[in-house]
Amino acid sequence: MKLTRARRVLALFLLLGSIVHRLDAASAPDLEDQTRAIATELRCVVCQNLSVADSPSEMAQQMRAIVREQLQAGKSPDQIKDFFVSKYGEWVLLKPRTTGFSALLWILPYVVLGLGVIAALWVIQRWVRKKQVISDRPMQPAISQQLSGEPFADEFPQPDLDDDSPKARLLRERVRLQHELADLDFDFQAGKLSESDYVTLKQEIETKAATVLQEISSLPSDAIAKPALKPAPARTRPQQATAAQFQLWKIIAGGTFLLLFGLALGVMLTKAARPRGSENDTITGDFLTGTTSGSAEVRAALDEGRQAFEKQEFPKAIEAFKKVLATEPNNPEAHSYMGFILVQAGHGDGALMAFDKALSQAPNFPMALWGKGMVLYQDKKDYAGAREIFQRLLNLVPPGEERNEVVKVLAEIPASGGTPSRPAVTEKSATVSSSSGQIGGKITIDPKLNANIDPNAALFIIARPAASGGGPPLAVKKIDRPTFPIDYTLSQDNAMMGMPFTGKINITARLDKDGNPVTRTPGDISGDYKKNPVEVGAKNVDVTLDQVAR
Amino acid sequence: MPVRRVVITLLIIGPLLALLAYGFTRDSHYIVSPLLAKPATPFTLKLFDGRDLSLADLRGKAVFLNFWASWCVPCREEARELEAAWQKIKDKNMIFVGVAVQDTDQNALEFLKEFNISYPNGKDETAKIAVDYGTWGIPESFFIDPQGRITYKHVGGIRAALVVSKLEEAAKSIVSAQEGKGDYSAVK
Repeated sequence: MKLTRARRVLALFLLLGSIVHRLDAASAPDLEDQTRAIATELRCVVCQNLSVADSPSEMAQQMRAIVREQLQAGKSPDQIKDFFVSKYGEWVLLKPRTTGFSALLWILPYVVLGLGVIAALWVIQRWVRKKQVISDRPMQPAISQQLSGEPFADEFPQPDLDDDSPKARLLRERVRLQHELADLDFDFQAGKLSESDYVTLKQEIETKAATVLQEISSLPSDAIAKPALKPAPARTRPQQATAAQFQLWKIIAGGTFLLLFGLALGVMLTKAARPRGSENDTITGDFLTGTTSGSAEVRAALDEGRQAFEKQEFPKAIEAFKKVLATEPNNPEAHSYMGFILVQAGHGDGALMAFDKALSQAPNFPMALWGKGMVLYQDKKDYAGAREIFQRLLNLVPPGEERNEVVKVLAEIPASGGTPSRPAVTEKSATVSSSSGQIGGKITIDPKLNANIDPNAALFIIARPAASGGGPPLAVKKIDRPTFPIDYTLSQDNAMMGMPFTGKINITARLDKDGNPVTRTPGDISGDYKKNPVEVGAKNVDVTLDQVAR
Repeated sequence: MPVRRVVITLLIIGPLLALLAYGFTRDSHYIVSPLLAKPATPFTLKLFDGRDLSLADLRGKAVFLNFWASWCVPCREEARELEAAWQKIKDKNMIFVGVAVQDTDQNALEFLKEFNISYPNGKDETAKIAVDYGTWGIPESFFIDPQGRITYKHVGGIRAALVVSKLEEAAKSIVSAQEGKGDYSAVK
């Protein structure tokens, strides 16, 4: 008996276990589905035109993780959406709510549609009624003859305006219609009306006039004669001219309005539309948003730069890309090309900065990722960093030759080892190095030039082999926004692409306004060590910045 | 009759044109934070030196909370300004907290070393703090009063003078009417 109970308990346990297991298995995809469903309704705060579900950005990934976590914590989809709304506002919802002020967004289009339908129906009804009036009231030939036989002269007999009898009203209406007919004829002859409009309007007035004449004819004969008729004031030419002027005013006002509207729209659209800087660039409306506009000039300069780069005409390429950056300081392609040029010149640090600038604007810009990866791998020997960059690039590049190239480079990078050898950019780190293989000293600035210091400038301390008399530098150190006097050291850590930091060296320094080591800008302040060349290991290699570039 | 028609036409076209013009003045990329004057969400940040920093422990102090990343150019531009501001106010009842987002430990530490940053900094590994504060661009800065309420937000690079003056306002629980905006760059 006991055994049987034990077996049943065991069987139940196993059964429960399998159910739990199945539930677990079922809930995993369900959680992903729910996460995706909620993420589809949230706007990615970075891409903004994509949902959190569709965006490949890191921020969207983290937002999806938060959604998943909150689902696991038992929160409902509405609670999760409310959470994001509390942080980012209603903006974060791709589908605005159907309650409160947002409801207007759902209702208004239908209201406008309804009003449009009503307006269209009203206009159609008017047309139909007009046609009906014309067709339903055929003019009696006798009345027509009487109407056309009326003397449309300048002087119409006009009934007494004070007489409010039905007969007098009819007579006044007849006179008014006669005036209208006369005006219509005048407008038609003046060419202000098309023939079809003239015929339609004339028919309409004649129909009304026929009705009036019919009613007049049905009155007792003495009633027509009796109302005191007094000569109507002459319809003078100036009055007709005023009517014509009014028509002219309408045309001018309408034309001016259309012209201004067209101009305003044209100006606004040309201001607002610009080519996207990159695939991550979501801003398309620039008007008053503070972003700069792209132009044909920028595209031309980019083309020129690319061609010059391909032909290895680097000075020309630099000029072209500088032109691009002057208009679009954040153009990732121009920064990337500048990076490649700096790599060619042996300025690994400068290149890295250029690639970082490009990536700060377009984090997935393949060209910049490739450049940064190569610098980290080959120049800096930062294998982990290079692997991370190439891995990112691999996720972006579609299958093909380029992808194979990335895979090949990734395979080449040693799996372990490799120490990042970023430049020692702070004075603190420089003083840590052994003093035997370094040159040290102080950089000062001529007191007369204190006023010329640009607070955002970067200081470059440059070492060149004395034997070469120029050419590419052996080592460069960059210090952002230095405060003078400033101590410095140069060592193997600052050397370019593994060049040996030995021998006789010329030391120069430059306070560079645009922070770009390749370019010279008017206002850059430079100076040399007065006893150049020096041997590695020399101390007190002091440089005074005393020459201003014109 | 014609005047009436003109008026009706203008009444219809006018609001549409006004709507169009308003649309052109808006930056669709910009997200206005709903958090101003709201209580700051509590968080615990693992600092780079290994300690834990909790916002709750900072109650009674005016807090400057800065979200940054080493790869972000405006963050580099403001780094020295922030350190200068910190040096000015560190002896007062105020504190700076830096939160690195979407960054590697190595790059973040190099950044702190490069700019000699001496105030507490840590990394928001999962971006939970960043989302709790509704950040969408880097850098973004929040000012929190001693009672734990957000008094001001600044999107983009910020200058030392503004940091100091807004912190002084935060210390007095003065809430700014609207957030500030400098240059910004989107988060990765």
